[in-house]
Amino acid sequence: MTKSFIKNALVVLGLALGTCTAAHALVFNPHPHSPEIDPGLAVSSLTLLAGTLAVLRVRRKK
Amino acid sequence: MSGIHWPSHLLGRLYLLFATVAFEYLFCFGGRGKIPGHLAFHGISTDTYGQIPIFAYLVFLGFGHFRLKALKEEIPFGRILFGAHILCMAAVVSFTMALRAGAGWVRFDTNAYTKSALYLLGTVLLALACVPLGSWIVAIRATGRLWLYALIAGVAGWCLGSPIKLLWDATNTVQNGMMQGATLHVVSAILGHFIPDLIVDPSTFTIGTPRCLVIIAGGCSGIEGLGLVLIFTSLWLWVYRKETRFPQAFLLIPCALGCSWLLNIARLCALILIANAGGPEVAQIGFHAEAGWIAFIGIALGFSMITQRLSWTRRISSAAGSLKGEMETAAGASEQVGEHGESPAIRAYLVPFLTILAAASVSKLASGYFDWLYPLRFFVAAVALCYFWPELKKLNWSFGWVAPVAGVAVFLLWMAPTWWGHQHAVSRLGADLAALSPMARWAWIAFRVVAAVLTVPIAEELAFRGYLARRLMDREFDRVSFEKLTVLAIVLSSVAFGLMHGQHWVAGILAGVAYAFALRWRGRMGDAVVAHAVSNLLLAAWVLGFGDWAQW
Repeated sequence: MTKSFIKNALVVLGLALGTCTAAHALVFNPHPHSPEIDPGLAVSSLTLLAGTLAVLRVRRKK
Repeated sequence: MSGIHWPSHLLGRLYLLFATVAFEYLFCFGGRGKIPGHLAFHGISTDTYGQIPIFAYLVFLGFGHFRLKALKEEIPFGRILFGAHILCMAAVVSFTMALRAGAGWVRFDTNAYTKSALYLLGTVLLALACVPLGSWIVAIRATGRLWLYALIAGVAGWCLGSPIKLLWDATNTVQNGMMQGATLHVVSAILGHFIPDLIVDPSTFTIGTPRCLVIIAGGCSGIEGLGLVLIFTSLWLWVYRKETRFPQAFLLIPCALGCSWLLNIARLCALILIANAGGPEVAQIGFHAEAGWIAFIGIALGFSMITQRLSWTRRISSAAGSLKGEMETAAGASEQVGEHGESPAIRAYLVPFLTILAAASVSKLASGYFDWLYPLRFFVAAVALCYFWPELKKLNWSFGWVAPVAGVAVFLLWMAPTWWGHQHAVSRLGADLAALSPMARWAWIAFRVVAAVLTVPIAEELAFRGYLARRLMDREFDRVSFEKLTVLAIVLSSVAFGLMHGQHWVAGILAGVAYAFALRWRGRMGDAVVAHAVSNLLLAAWVLGFGDWAQW
């Protein structure tokens, strides 16, 4: 039970750390000349990643 | 409307709640920071405090998805509570408009407190209208201690924001820019071997050559990549925790973070070398942004493949292992995981669209302002569509009168802000094309038009309406009839479609809805594709006819 709690808490902590890091870098304090903050580019890149992961997770034929 | 199904189960209602709150916040209140006179407690804006429940709710919803999905009992919708919610929000909007208009009966402080209280009350009423109190208790019981983890995540995210910023933001003191300093040091050490006259100024984090100088800003120090990689790896381990062996898998997170930082170093080195070699526009416009995203995608894909394929981090079924031995166990685990994977039909629906995205990424990487490699998108999509055509030809590609009508309507909707509004965007595409030789110019335009009318509509309709809308309804998406698409699936897939269209995102969402209803009309993919193609054809004719290059 304790191991499970620590595992889950670590994952959540990592998520919180990552989200606030990215949020501060990308959303709240964007560098005025950083083109990577272009929302269109971010959306298409994340879509490409999500789609590729979905295709890679396809069921194997038995 | 007959045949339209609103979510009646718990998970659907929770998503409906989130979508409604987000919609009201964005469309009724103008988004973050635009509500005049918002309330502050102890000197901190309620917007800032609001990050805690928002993030906690997202964690709860995202991580509790599968357990909440198992709760299939239908729940009633509180119409009276929803009506009260509408009244509260109407009052908030009235207060906001009165304050903006400078009405004498509204005092700033009073308005701020009243409005915040009404907004909070309205949100609570909406939450209870979508999900009755009893169902909230059921949801919390079904998800165990997830509410606690979600709360930890919300508070941790809120508390850690400022300390993390100190790691990379050098706006206050130079010592605070630890990431910038380290990145500058390593980049200068590497480039010193290639560029003899390298210029390095640690006080301003500037590096380069006499031909080009680069300032390593806080965002360029790799902190964005580290944040994204941390989010991805944490989410991945959580979602696939039953297939992953702990604590071994945790060791992969620092490895991924290290790769992210090193790849950012490589990106900066390459950027300076490209600019120094005579391609400052490519380095600054295309390579700068795309290289970072390509690196992130590479790390994310590598991380996911390693956790799934490496036996050291992959959990193996003990029952199967005791029966068949370790080798057979690994195969058994693969099949066990495979049962929960995506339908094999996903390849035909998604790969053409993914090839366009990948080609776009590559072409932008090698381009400045002008995307000279655009024809690559057409070629890869055409090859992918030809490859999967034996499977795709089973779809109904015929179309009726609704398709061109929907296409014309979407075109008019798309152009409406330009015709009747004040949105006259400026584009340098026309000037860039004029600088080409006539043959190159018309070849580029021909590929652009053919792609817009042929490959893009087919690939996008297959991806967003053929796959995503149906996948939101059922894992076995290819068994869902197009005529059975629900409103929620249409709206969510259209939002994803709209977000792909940058500044035209509102028109993109509406266009997605129109194409989806064209598809749903007779259940024919041909209707959606033709509607999309007609819109793109009219847009191309407008661009070429009137030289309005900003529409491309």
